[in-house]
Amino acid sequence: MIKLKTTGLTRRFLGLVAVNNVSFSMEEGEILGIIGPNGAGKTTFINLVSGIIMPSEGKIEYKGQDITWMPAHQRARIGIARTYQLIHPLENLTLIENVMVGSIFARGHSVREARRRAEAICRELGLTRLERDTSRLTILEIKKMEIARALANEPEVLFLDEVMAGLNSDETKELIAMVQKIAKERNLAVGVVEHVMGVIKELTHRVIVLEAGELIAEGRYEEVSKNPRVIEAYLGGGAA
Amino acid sequence: MNRTLIRILLAGIAVLAIVFPLFAGDYPLQVARNIMLYMALAISWDMLLRSGQISFGIAGLFGIGAYAAILGVVRAGMPAWLSIPFGAAFAALVALAIGFVILRLRAMYFSIVTLALGEIFRIIVHNLHDFTGGPEGVVMSQGVIFGGNSSALYWLVLGGLAVAIAASTWFEKSRIHFALTAIRNNEISAKSSGVDIFRWLLLAFVVTSAIQGMLGGIFVMSYGFAAPDVVFSADFTLLPLAMALLGGIYSTQGPIFGAILLGLVAEWLKLKIPYGHLVVYGIMIIIVILFIPQGIKSLVKKTLGRESTAPEGGHA
Repeated sequence: MIKLKTTGLTRRFLGLVAVNNVSFSMEEGEILGIIGPNGAGKTTFINLVSGIIMPSEGKIEYKGQDITWMPAHQRARIGIARTYQLIHPLENLTLIENVMVGSIFARGHSVREARRRAEAICRELGLTRLERDTSRLTILEIKKMEIARALANEPEVLFLDEVMAGLNSDETKELIAMVQKIAKERNLAVGVVEHVMGVIKELTHRVIVLEAGELIAEGRYEEVSKNPRVIEAYLGGGAA
Repeated sequence: MNRTLIRILLAGIAVLAIVFPLFAGDYPLQVARNIMLYMALAISWDMLLRSGQISFGIAGLFGIGAYAAILGVVRAGMPAWLSIPFGAAFAALVALAIGFVILRLRAMYFSIVTLALGEIFRIIVHNLHDFTGGPEGVVMSQGVIFGGNSSALYWLVLGGLAVAIAASTWFEKSRIHFALTAIRNNEISAKSSGVDIFRWLLLAFVVTSAIQGMLGGIFVMSYGFAAPDVVFSADFTLLPLAMALLGGIYSTQGPIFGAILLGLVAEWLKLKIPYGHLVVYGIMIIIVILFIPQGIKSLVKKTLGRESTAPEGGHA
């Protein structure tokens, strides 16, 4: 079943077209890689589908419903969750309280019920120092907390914007396995932005490639990585 | 300290506060009323601050509540007791109307606009001579509420303070705490967790304005008089702000500590140096803000924390 679909999605910033006429869809249970060189529009694309910014043109549908103009907090409630490339822990809240926010506001649970659910999510992700201030967490804990916060929305579509960045190879492996497990158990549609191709190769079922805001290729990682246009996009026109 | 002990302690303080007029004379009662009034204002200011919005409009909403209450009595023949909730409701309505516009603003822009609003209200009252009495103000010919009985007036302000503390505790213990803290920290990630930012800001603004309006009502009912330069005085903005900053922001206890300390010091200075007390007072506030930016609350926490460092993963 198609969870999320965009048609001709475009966003211009003054003269710059950050996302240009992107049409794509995501199925339940699918882990989709979103790749492309720096400035290709990957984060803008996630901002558009999660409602942080509004499109200049195009249409976004979630489970058949038109959500193009729906505000971000409502998208969080109907099942779209995301993490941020620049992590934004809520600094005056403890780890568990950070996770509770989604459960309270996206799901409407009571504070007590939210704590219970947040604890379960943290346990699942191997987070144990629940009462810690976020300023005293390790980078791995913060990354997991970001995922936990997104999961607290009890989403059906989840976007992970460079959650592996800054982790060492053991930590990356642990997180890849974790994302695969949570995606499978919840039958999530997951969109993953990563710069490390090894992660994309191992984690995703399918990839889309953005360059200068346009979708230039789509398919399995093995196929896409051999696509001459993709190689050119990554290496630059001059080098090819 | 364990929870039961704290509860017993708080209950003890509450009982003492209630029975205070039974053994205190008029002067200490007057001082206590003053301190409690500013304390309640400081708490209400802090409640909105928890969302990250710094209001300089306390005096404006206080003055609106004050005028609504006294005009309710003088012009509409409202009973004095009813004029206080009326002042609160009126301030809340005004906040609701202007909140729709000004809560789109953030940081400095919000602060400046709230400051300007207070001034606008003052000028309106000043100029609506026939209805408000203009710069000379309004006197309640019916006389002060409770016939000016100093114990009753004390309990009235104590009641207002109790409302402020109850509201602040509600903000701290309920989902509002999570909403406001998330908004203060990062609005974008708050949205992604489903927080309807505008709605919670509006709630906080309306509730805190209602408290400020109620206190304005209590103030005029206790003095039987309102004039623009009195009820819109900058003191009602600046002193609560200083008290909350001194005591420690983002909590109920902080403004309480701050108000007791600053209130008592101000009173003592007034007796010791009648003509220079405000200068000393100002210097003291500056020193505290420079050297204890987190407020007295943080000092207390640090001192207590040193003895009982919470174990890893323990409840802090």
